[in-house]
Amino acid sequence: MTFLSVCDLCVRYGRVEALSGVSLSLREGEIVTVLGANGAGKSTLLRAVLGATPSQSGSMIFNGQDVTKLAAHERIARGIVLVPEGRRIAISLTIEENLLLGAHLRRDMVQIKKEIEGIYERFPNLGSRRNLLASCLSGGEQQMLAIGRAMLARPKVMMLDEPSLGLSPLFVTKVFDLIKELNRDGLSVLLVEQNAGKALAVAHSATVLELGRVMMSGDPQTLAADPRLQEAYLGEAST
Amino acid sequence: MLTQQIVNGLMLSAIYMLVAVAFTLAIGVLNFLNFSIPGLFMIGGMVAFGGLRLGLPWPLAFGGALGAAALIALAVERFAYRPMQGSDPETPLVSSLGFLVLLENLMLVRFGSDQQSFPALLADMNLRFGGLVIGIAQLISMALSVLLVVWLSWFLSRTNTGRQIRTVAESRETALLMGVNMGTLVPRLFVGSALLASSAGLLFAVNYQQVSPFMGEGVGFKGVAAMIVGGMGSIWGAVLGGLLIGLVEVLTISTVGANFVNISAYGLLLLILILRPQGLIGQPPSREKL
Repeated sequence: MTFLSVCDLCVRYGRVEALSGVSLSLREGEIVTVLGANGAGKSTLLRAVLGATPSQSGSMIFNGQDVTKLAAHERIARGIVLVPEGRRIAISLTIEENLLLGAHLRRDMVQIKKEIEGIYERFPNLGSRRNLLASCLSGGEQQMLAIGRAMLARPKVMMLDEPSLGLSPLFVTKVFDLIKELNRDGLSVLLVEQNAGKALAVAHSATVLELGRVMMSGDPQTLAADPRLQEAYLGEAST
Repeated sequence: MLTQQIVNGLMLSAIYMLVAVAFTLAIGVLNFLNFSIPGLFMIGGMVAFGGLRLGLPWPLAFGGALGAAALIALAVERFAYRPMQGSDPETPLVSSLGFLVLLENLMLVRFGSDQQSFPALLADMNLRFGGLVIGIAQLISMALSVLLVVWLSWFLSRTNTGRQIRTVAESRETALLMGVNMGTLVPRLFVGSALLASSAGLLFAVNYQQVSPFMGEGVGFKGVAAMIVGGMGSIWGAVLGGLLIGLVEVLTISTVGANFVNISAYGLLLLILILRPQGLIGQPPSREKL
C-alpha cells in the first residue's frame, strides 16, 4: 500500500522552476532514495514534502490523508520529519535541548525522557555531553544528533537530506548502518544522497531527478546497472 | 548620601532594564529594532492614567493599560512587521517608528501635550535605614522588575516555547525545518515584549507620578542605549546595561548637574561602541548571521 504519494509537484522560486511535475511514491517500511546532480531539485523536493517550501501545484497524500494544504508543523505532527541538509543543529542549545526541540510538538514528557535516554544509550558520545552546547560535537556526532532529534518527533517517514555529506568514512558507514537499522524497525525512509552507490545499496526503490523532473525511477539494481546513471553519478566512485 | 543616590538610581535602572529587555527580545530573536516599544511604554502609563481619571479601580486601570499595549503590539506585528518580511531589515524599523508617532499623537489628541500628574496609589510610606529612605512603591517596583526578568530568563532557558524562541534567534531556517510555528510564535513574542515595555511605563508612572504622551521617548532611547551597552540580544546584557545607565544618570545629576545627564549616558554608549562594539556581555556576530 502506498504510504506517501507525491503527485505532479511543481515548485517555483521566483521565475526559476525548481520542480516541474515530480511524482513519487513510497510504501510503508520502504527506503526510497532520490538521486540527482546538484541543482536537480532533490532538497527542494524534501522541503516541499515537509511543507517548508510552498508548492505551486500538485498534491500529496500521506497515510491516507490529503496533506497538501498543511503547514510544516502539522505535517511533522503527522509523522513527516526531515533531517536537513547540513544537519542544522542549533549550536546555541545544548545536546539535550536539541533533542527536546525535536519533540517540541509532543506533550508526553515521561515518554520523551525515556526516548532521550534511549538515544543516549545508542550514542554514548551524546549522552556523556548532554548538557554541553551542541557546538562541541564533531560533524559526524552532529549528524547522529540530527537523526536522534528527528526520532524524537516520532517520525513515520524520515526524510534525510545528504546525511553522509562531509563525514569521515567511518561515520558514513555509521549513518548508513543506522538508516538500515531504523528501517528494519519499521521506519519508512526517503533518502537524498550524493553517495549514489551506498544509497542504491540500501534502497528498495530509487528515483533520479534531472533539472526538476523525474529522469527515471524503479528498482535500485536496475538503475545501478543503467549506463546513463553509471556515467553520471556512479562513475569510478561506485565501490 | 551616595547610598541614597544609588538607591534612586536603581529605581531608574529597573525601568531602563525592562525597556532594554523588551528591545532585546525583538532584536535578538527577530532581528527587528522595534521602535513602537517607547510608544508601548507610554501607553502603559497613559492608559492607566486615563482609566484612573475615569474612576476605575487601579487593578482595572492597570490591567486595561497592559491589555491595550498587548493589542497594539499585535497590530504592530500585523501591519508594521509581517508585511515587511522579505524586504530590507530596516523597513519594519521605519514602519514601527510610524506606530510610535501614531500612538503619541492619539494620546496627544485625547489628553493634550502637558505633563499630567499621576495619582499616588500607595500611602506615602517610607522605610528608613539610618539616613537612607526607600519608598514602598520604589521597593515593590524594583522587586517586580527583577522578578519579571528572572521569570523571563527561566522561561527562555527551561520551557518548550523558550527553546523554540532560542532556535528562531539562532536560525529561522532551522526553526522552520523543525516545525516551529512562526505564525503563532512571532505574535506571542510581540505581546511579551509589549507587556515588558508597558509594565515599565506603569512603574514609571507610579514612581515618578507623572505621565505625558512623550514620556516614552527619553526612556525608550535610554533603553536602546542600555541594550547596546550590555550587548544586543542578551537578556542579562540588557539588565547590566540598564543598571549602568540608570546609575550613571543619577550619579551625574548628583555630582555634575542635571544638564550633563544625556552627555554621560550617551557618552557611556559611545565609549562602549568604541571599546567593545558587541556590548559588555554580548557575543560577536555569529558566522551564520554574517
